[in-house]
Amino acid sequence: MKYLLSSAIILLCLALAKLIMHFIGGSFPAPLLAMVILLALLLSGIVKEQHVKPCASPILNIMPIFFIPAGVGFIEHLGLIKSHWAFLASVVVLVPITTLLLVSSVIAYFKGRENND
Amino acid sequence: MTNFTFSAISELQPNLWWLSIPFIIVLFLALRAVNQSIKNSVLKSLTNHVFLSISIIALLLVNLNLPYTQFASHSKLLSWLLEPAIVALALPLYQQFTHVRKNLLLIVATCSLGIVNATVVAFLLSILFNAPAQLSASVAALSVTTPISLIVTDSLGGISSLAAALVIFIGLLGALFGFMLFKLANIFNHESQGVAMGTACHAIGTAAAIAEHPKVGAYSSVAMALSALLTAIIVPLLYPFLVNILL
Repeated sequence: MKYLLSSAIILLCLALAKLIMHFIGGSFPAPLLAMVILLALLLSGIVKEQHVKPCASPILNIMPIFFIPAGVGFIEHLGLIKSHWAFLASVVVLVPITTLLLVSSVIAYFKGRENND
Repeated sequence: MTNFTFSAISELQPNLWWLSIPFIIVLFLALRAVNQSIKNSVLKSLTNHVFLSISIIALLLVNLNLPYTQFASHSKLLSWLLEPAIVALALPLYQQFTHVRKNLLLIVATCSLGIVNATVVAFLLSILFNAPAQLSASVAALSVTTPISLIVTDSLGGISSLAAALVIFIGLLGALFGFMLFKLANIFNHESQGVAMGTACHAIGTAAAIAEHPKVGAYSSVAMALSALLTAIIVPLLYPFLVNILL
């Protein structure tokens, strides 16, 4: 019963989000809207944590299995990757370095560089 | 004669069902069990189970010359389940929200800044290298957990599988070298390190952060959950805006 309720909540949020996106149009991904809807329901207390947990926890636990097939899809674009390897390599290096430095320095500016806890 | 050749070819092309769902599940669970038993944090990052699962299957398909389309159609059920799994991400997001209420403003602000930075840096690089539009859209949403990156990249018209591979690489690099970078920059504050790791390097970085210090790990988990939500809101608006003003 608790599994049924939990999966029904998740699927209803997804269905509602798809319906909304169908009517307003645009390319915003429906699953993300569904995630925001479910978060709003949880924060407002309409849906309780224990209502979603029975299905959500096992799904989240094995989540990578669901995107492994999609992830393997890059082998369809090996030619494109080869011809732009320098661009892709600089993205992979510079994006994390600049993001790590920017975020950590801004917080260090407010909270100090040393460990204060 | 033609008929004979066709049937011979289809017999030579083995049915891939065993290489799809059953193989993915067994491979993933086995590699995860191995990964979880490893204590050394460098080795743990290098043997990341998601990274290894994707690499092994990709190598198999390429070397055995098996068509990806057949593999994809056999594993459709798994890809379909990604959508409800993304909805379920609301749960950790909610759980993390309650932890950081008092620091929420600073963390949300810096996390958003990190996401904007990742998108802008990738976009500037794509102009610098004169990359085609499809590739530039593929690198717009890399500072986030893989499933969100997949789905946002798809909506921007990029190659989502390429984005997924890049996201995983970024996570690995961050996990391996992130703490060296903090040392060089002279930043030792747990909150700084954790939020930066979670924003830039998602789950793989968070695993390294947990190994570094539980408090860094806690901040990293919060930032990772937040960046899933913030990327979903920011990048679909920011990327078309950048395309409009800079191209």
